[in-house]
Amino acid sequence: MTEISTTDLERFIGWYSLGRDSNPLNPTKSLHFLRIKVPGGFITSEQFRHVADLAKTYDRSYAEISDRQDIQLHWIKSEDALQIFSVMDKLGFTTDMCGQSFSGARYGDARNIVCCPVSGIEKGEVLNGYPLMKKLTDLFIGNPDFMDMPRKFKFSISGCGSDCTRAEINDLALVAVRKEGEVGFTLLAGGSIGVSLPGPRLAKPLGVFVKPEEAFDVAVATTEIHRDYGNRESKAKARFKWLLDNWGFKKFLNVLEGKLGRTLESYDGPVFLKHSGHEGVQPQSQEGYYYVNIPLMGGRLSSDEMVSLANFADEYGNGELRLTATQNIIIPNVKEKETLLKRLEGTGFSLNGSKLQWTSMECASDFCGKTKSPHAKEIFREIVSHLEKQFDNELLDEMGFRIHVSGCPNNCCANLIADIGLAGKLVRKNGEKTQSYDILLGGGVGKNSSLGRIVEMKVPANRLKHKVEFLLRNYLKKRTQGESLREFCNRHTVEKLKSYLNSTGE
Amino acid sequence: MEKKFNLQKIGEKRYSLDARGLVCPYPQLLAMRALGNLSSGDVLEVVLDNPPSVRDIPPVLKEKGYEVSEAERVEKATWKIVIQIKK
Repeated sequence: MTEISTTDLERFIGWYSLGRDSNPLNPTKSLHFLRIKVPGGFITSEQFRHVADLAKTYDRSYAEISDRQDIQLHWIKSEDALQIFSVMDKLGFTTDMCGQSFSGARYGDARNIVCCPVSGIEKGEVLNGYPLMKKLTDLFIGNPDFMDMPRKFKFSISGCGSDCTRAEINDLALVAVRKEGEVGFTLLAGGSIGVSLPGPRLAKPLGVFVKPEEAFDVAVATTEIHRDYGNRESKAKARFKWLLDNWGFKKFLNVLEGKLGRTLESYDGPVFLKHSGHEGVQPQSQEGYYYVNIPLMGGRLSSDEMVSLANFADEYGNGELRLTATQNIIIPNVKEKETLLKRLEGTGFSLNGSKLQWTSMECASDFCGKTKSPHAKEIFREIVSHLEKQFDNELLDEMGFRIHVSGCPNNCCANLIADIGLAGKLVRKNGEKTQSYDILLGGGVGKNSSLGRIVEMKVPANRLKHKVEFLLRNYLKKRTQGESLREFCNRHTVEKLKSYLNSTGE
Repeated sequence: MEKKFNLQKIGEKRYSLDARGLVCPYPQLLAMRALGNLSSGDVLEVVLDNPPSVRDIPPVLKEKGYEVSEAERVEKATWKIVIQIKK
């Protein structure tokens, strides 16, 4: 046997990995990405500046915030990996174990836990979910007991009582509630809107109340159930939703309670107490302080912009930044909000657009190589720009809808849970593959959650903004009192909705 | 852990490296590390089960001047890449 020196590699195995961009269509020529796990989206200004530096050195000065509060860098070369991992180690970061694509049902890890980005500072917060998120993250990272699950496992923790973490698309969601004067969590389980079997599912409320001190054990026990009982025969059947679909929720709760050694209290109250994505500038529970949520339209930042934001966090906040699950960034603990807003405007960060700029999401389809131009983020910018010219921002905000754009059928940006979902696909036209989009309507999470329906297929990209405009004009003319866009869409047949996409009837 | 990453001699000037269970970029980094320990004319077989690495390793090593076979599927979810250090 010949020994090869691997100590420097071994210390990173299980803590760091690279993901894979590209296939022949990828126009960016990026082969690998790095998904920096930022637990709960909490990051210091110093860490943010160091990530900006990594982006400058390895990623053409470019970074993007993901919908699980991670930061992704592209154009990463394998031969630079150890150097990058060393820097991340010093910063205290790790990565998800993405880049797997193993054929079998193996090597699944616990992904970055999505946590309310204003934990500890939101007015009227039910309970601060940050400590639980941190404790679970510390348990799972690099832990060999949880590095070989049938598939990945996704958690969310919302302490503010709203659906800001998109609880319903997680394998296990903990949402803070009140029961008879006591605070705790209620659970939702089995969410995943990807294509693996049994198909897209929204997480279901389990009707239980978990005291804060019990929540860690409940979360770990649930992960162990996924690990020990999840399907190992077929990768398509290896997500937690398949197990729950087969067992039923009653059996799952019995097994969970068996592991915990106690019966969980019941809960039949509301899951979400309010609707909020924490957009804009909001007063904190700490008197005189505000948090400033900056919309990033696709979560993309240059290195210089990252440094500017880090500096603003130091100058106007307390040096903290928080990444949100809708790819935006928050500077908390701000006193001089008006001055900060002026400085942000001067740096190209405007908070004067419609709420769409905060709430909508698009995938990085230009990197994964499964799509052609116009890519998801281009389409989104075009649509928002068009809508903001056609309607007042106040009216768009009042309509309160979300647009999610995914470049391909992988659905990475969860088109199924948006009021207006755009799902890209390549179609052959005149012998060439061109990018088109299916339009899905009526999806959403939170109160009255639902999966969107496909209303029109293979729409050329340049027609999308007009169709969305026509739909909104029909909605404004024909909605009932207090009816949301989601409710309006779900009240009509697919055929009727298709007619609304194609004409205002004038 | 160290045992697993040693090169097994499997024949005259022929070695095997087991990189199964490793995610990107480790199979490639280990393969490079292993090749650095071998001599001209030696052959290295890398056994791995991570599909992105299966796609990445051949072009990267070809660019570095090695003779590389296309990945051969040896089991349902396992591949072998054969690399020779040119004489």
